[in-house]
Parts: sequence; C-alpha cells; structure tokens
Amino acid sequence: MRNIKLEDLSKSIHNQVIIPKVDLVIPGGKFFALLGPSGCGKTTLLRLIAGLEQSDGGKIYLGDDDITRKSIDQRPINMVFQNYALFPHYNVFENIAYSLRIKKIPKEIITQKVYKLLEAFHLESHIYKLPSQLSGGQQQRVALARALINEPDVLLLDEPLAALDFKLREKMLLELIDWQDELETTFIYVTHDQLEALTVADQMAIMNHHGEIEQIGTPKEIYEFPVSSFVARFVGTTNTWHGKLRDIDTNPSIETPELGQFKIYIPKKKTWMEEGYDAVMSLRPEKIFISKKEMKDFDNHLTGTVESIVYHGRSTQYNVILKNGEKIQVFEQNEEHFPQEDIDYDDPVNLYWQRKSVVLLEK
Amino acid sequence: MRLTPSTKRSRSKLPFTRGESHLPFTRGESHLPFTRGESHLPFTWGVPALLWQVIFFYIPLAFITLSGFIKISELGAFDGFTLKNFTLFFTPTYLKVTLASLLMALTNALICFAIAFPLAYYIAFTGRKYKNSLLFFLIVPFWTNFLLHVYAWFYVLEKHGFINTLLMKLGLIAEPLNMLNSLFAIMIMMVYYYLPFMVLPIYSSLERFNETLLEASYDLGGNFFTTFRKIMLPLTSRGIRSGFFLVLIPSFGEFAIPELMGGDKKMFVGTVISQYILGEGTGSLGAAFTLLSGLILLIVVVGLNFFLTSILKPRMQNG
Repeated sequence: MRNIKLEDLSKSIHNQVIIPKVDLVIPGGKFFALLGPSGCGKTTLLRLIAGLEQSDGGKIYLGDDDITRKSIDQRPINMVFQNYALFPHYNVFENIAYSLRIKKIPKEIITQKVYKLLEAFHLESHIYKLPSQLSGGQQQRVALARALINEPDVLLLDEPLAALDFKLREKMLLELIDWQDELETTFIYVTHDQLEALTVADQMAIMNHHGEIEQIGTPKEIYEFPVSSFVARFVGTTNTWHGKLRDIDTNPSIETPELGQFKIYIPKKKTWMEEGYDAVMSLRPEKIFISKKEMKDFDNHLTGTVESIVYHGRSTQYNVILKNGEKIQVFEQNEEHFPQEDIDYDDPVNLYWQRKSVVLLEK
Repeated sequence: MRLTPSTKRSRSKLPFTRGESHLPFTRGESHLPFTRGESHLPFTWGVPALLWQVIFFYIPLAFITLSGFIKISELGAFDGFTLKNFTLFFTPTYLKVTLASLLMALTNALICFAIAFPLAYYIAFTGRKYKNSLLFFLIVPFWTNFLLHVYAWFYVLEKHGFINTLLMKLGLIAEPLNMLNSLFAIMIMMVYYYLPFMVLPIYSSLERFNETLLEASYDLGGNFFTTFRKIMLPLTSRGIRSGFFLVLIPSFGEFAIPELMGGDKKMFVGTVISQYILGEGTGSLGAAFTLLSGLILLIVVVGLNFFLTSILKPRMQNG
C-alpha cells in the first residue's frame, strides 16, 4: 500500500490560515489517527486529501503520484462523512451500489459486489430499508460499505463515531480495527477524542490549535513520551509543574518554586536541557501511588489532603490538595475487592512516584 | 389551570417525526414540510375556511357551469338549455387558442425554472448571510400595483425606450426594434411576473437540502450532471413540482399580460374568455369555454404531475 505524503501543504479560508505549512507522511496500509482539538483544521486537512478542497500551496503525493491537482473523482480515496451523508432517497442497496452504478458497471457484478459487502457488514436484513429506518450503528456500516465498495487505496473517516453512544462507539471502534486489519487499506481517522485515537491508531499525529502537527508516533509513544505540554495535556490527563533543571549529568532533578526538588530521569539529553533551564515536568495521575502510610523505595514524595474522590469502577480518582494549595490528580486501579486502606475525604495522604515516571518537557 | 408536562404535548405519540419517515410517499424528501409538536386542531377551526371556499369558489363554479348550458334569445332573455355553447369550441380555431395557451404556460414554467433554480440555489447556499435581504428584494415588486409593472416595462421595451436607446447608442442596431405588442413582450412580462412563484418553493426545499450529500456523490465518482440528476433533483422535487404548477396553472388563464403586452392580435384562452364574458350576450359562451379549458388544464396538469414525478425521482433499476 502506498504512503500518503503531504509536502508544505497550506490552506487559508477567507484570509484565515487554517493549515500553515504541514509536512506529514502517512504510512500506507496502516490505521492512522489525526487527533486535535475542535476547530484545529484537522477536517480541512482530510478534505484536502479527499479533494473536496484545493490547497493554496504544497503537494499531496500518493506513493509517487502527485495528486494535488487531481479532481476528487480521480483519486482512489473515499470518505466516510461525519453524519454519514447517506442518500435519504435511496435504500441500503442503492446507497452502497451508487458509485458502481454511475460508472455503468454491469448489473450482475454490482449485485455480486454489493451482496458481498452487505454480508460482511451484517446488513442483509436491511437491504430495502431507507437510511432513516436504520439505527446509528447500521447507518455507520452502510456509510463504510458505500465508501469501501470501490476498494480505495485510502479511506478517510471524519469523526465517524461522533453521533453514536458510548457503548456502540466502543464496539464500532473494534470493528473498524478488524476491518482495517483485513483490508489493509490505509485508514485516516480524524477525531478530537483521544480515547478513540489511542484505541484505533497504529500511528497518530497530534495537531494543535494553529493547525501545526506537534508530534507523530505510536499511541504509546505519544502517551508515554509527549514532546510538548500541549500533547501531554491533550492526550490523557496529566499533572504539570515547572521548575529549574539541576545536576543534569549526574543526578538530574527539577527545582520547583514552591514544592521543592524532584528527582527526574533523562533518557536522552536534548539541546535545551541545560543547568537552570525553566522546564515543565509532566506526571500522569496513574503513575502516582497514594497511601496514608509511609513508604520506602520511591524517588519522590509529596504530602497533601484528599479534597474529593471520584469512583470510576475500574479506577478511583483522588483530587489531592498539596501544601501550596495546588490540586493534583491521582488514579488508583481498583485491583482488590476489599482495599487494604480506606482513604476518605480530608484524609492526609502521601504521594509517591519514581523518577522514571516523569516526562520532561521544554515548555 | 395548570398543565402537567405530560399532557402539554407528547411528541412520542406522533406517527412520524422530522427526518424519520416511514411513509411510502415521503421517500425522496428527507423532511416533511410540517410536523406539529401540538396535537391536531379541532375540526371547527377549519369551518370558516371551508365556508369561504364554498361561497367564493364552489357556488360561483356551479353558476358558471349552469350558465354554460343556457340558451339566450336574440332579445337577451332565457330561452331554455342547450349544448351548442360547448360544441362551438371544437373547431380548429379554438383548439389552436387552447394549444397556444398551453404552450405559453409551459414555456413560461420552463424558463422560470431555468432561471429560478440557480437563483434559489444561490440564495440558499452562497448568499447565506444575505439570505433574508435577497428574499426581501425578490418579493418587493409585489408591493406595487401590477399595472405599474406593465407601464415600467413599456418604458423599457417601447420604440424610444431603454433597450432601443441603449442598443442604438452602442451602434448595434440602426433602426429601433419593435418589441412591444409581440410574443416576446408577453413572455418577458410573464417570466418577470411569475418568477418568484418558482423561486420560493424551490428555495424552501433547497434550504432543507444537506450539502454534504453533493460532496458524498462527488467523492463516490459522480460528476456534476449525475449528482444534479440523481441527488439534487430528487431531493428537491417537491419544491420544483410546486413551483412548476404555481407558475403553469395561472399562466394558462392569464389575460392581462397578453392583452396589455401583446396588442389585440394574440389570442389566448384568458383573452377569449374575458372578451366573451364581458361582451354583450356572449356570457354563456364564455362560461362554456371556461369549463372546457379548465377541464383540459386539469387533464394536462394530472399528466404532467405523473411525468414530473417519474423524471424527478429516478428509481435505480434492479436491487
């Protein structure tokens, strides 16, 4: 499967820059997620790839083909629209068959292909229904089948699950992953929901409010090793403090103005990591261990009082107020049926974490 | 009296709601024109409107029907019943008049459609911000008297009028063109006058049209023509049909415009009827022709409706 390469791609709408120069390689045959806050330009980027918008500058390559100026119907790329955009006056069969029929492909071949897809998407019993008679999940599957019938090189999905409820969304995500595995078509999935992106993606890119790409990597890389505080905050939840770097080469630590010094770990030294530099440390809530007891063998330690407790079922979230009045989030897995400690509101607690759990960010 | 929320209105009891129709005859339209949140109004509320219809439409219609069969003596008195008033019209002259009216009405509707669709599309999609002002300007001419419109067009079309002066100044013509008192002048005035009746219904169905469907069609390989034909037309067919008949039916019987713009040479159904009804002792003939032409129009409209429905909603074969 061919890669998609965006080179210096830019787009302005009504004199407003939506996409400043973007360079991006989307690996062929992979499930690629483009994650960014609402209104950051990710949908515009998708529409540029689809051919629904023309770029102001830059190039789009599919493999070695320059498709920048190719019209939408000449690109081997299909799209699943945000609200599916199913044709309301055609039934399920006609919706899926639409692109084959306008190409005047023989009837028998169309019927054969459509039935194959209907079967694969479990839609056999809804062939003659109109889109308005289908449930959200079924409409979603029709939209997918309709986009896939041409066997495109690339399938674009624009927040395809936004209209579905939570349970169904989870189910559809897994279905999408299975589909991508089986077809080996390049999927480009645009979403503002970090959970969706982390779930489906082989590779993902994070876009900031200005339409710039902040980081590209596997979901794990992005979650565990964010390169900027924007990424750290946008993907998952995190606690951040800023402070000055100390003893980088010997026993690195960060000195915060109010909470004292914390030990950190620097796997790979970057140029900005200099003695005294004002950096940001990010600490994921689940990397913190909370206890009323005194513990040993941890690199870092803080004390605070529990302000509130949110029970999530599989985990519990503690909001702890530190001695300087700052709030910090802690997640604890609910592994045991009967927890060993009862932590309650207003209890004084100890917070512990290892230096390797900290991610150091430039800003 | 206090109403509890449950008795106030119950949406769930409605047989169908917006965007989710299970009725066979609404396929092709994504939305129903009206869906009331309230329960249905009591029958008595409709009585005034029904009475109005009976007094001002059905009773006069009965009178006209009756007078079509009346024979008038040379002295102008009632002289029994006859069918002669009707048979008179089955001659080539009158059939030609009817045909001419039909053709004029059809041409008018087609020209109006050709102008109105792009205009409605522009107002609904491109002119978003100025939507209301654009619609306002479309309706403004209706606030002035019809005759003023006609006289305004006289100034534009007459021998030393706007168009002739302009064309001569530009050196395109040497002699002024004779545009008044012609079919051309009639058609200009007809299209001008009836255009809003076509624009408004098309606009209202375009406004409910989801533009993403066009993008989906292009994405699936459709070109402009197939997209227009298979997606846009069927989904706006309700507005197109309404507009078509709103223009076609009154233009068939139009008598003021042919009379004023066409001089006395052009004969149409409306002009013939008005001459007979207003003429001395020819009232019965006028009534008979009214009924006959009305019947012909009815047949044509029913036929056209079937035709339009079938071409505007292309069912995909097979499946």
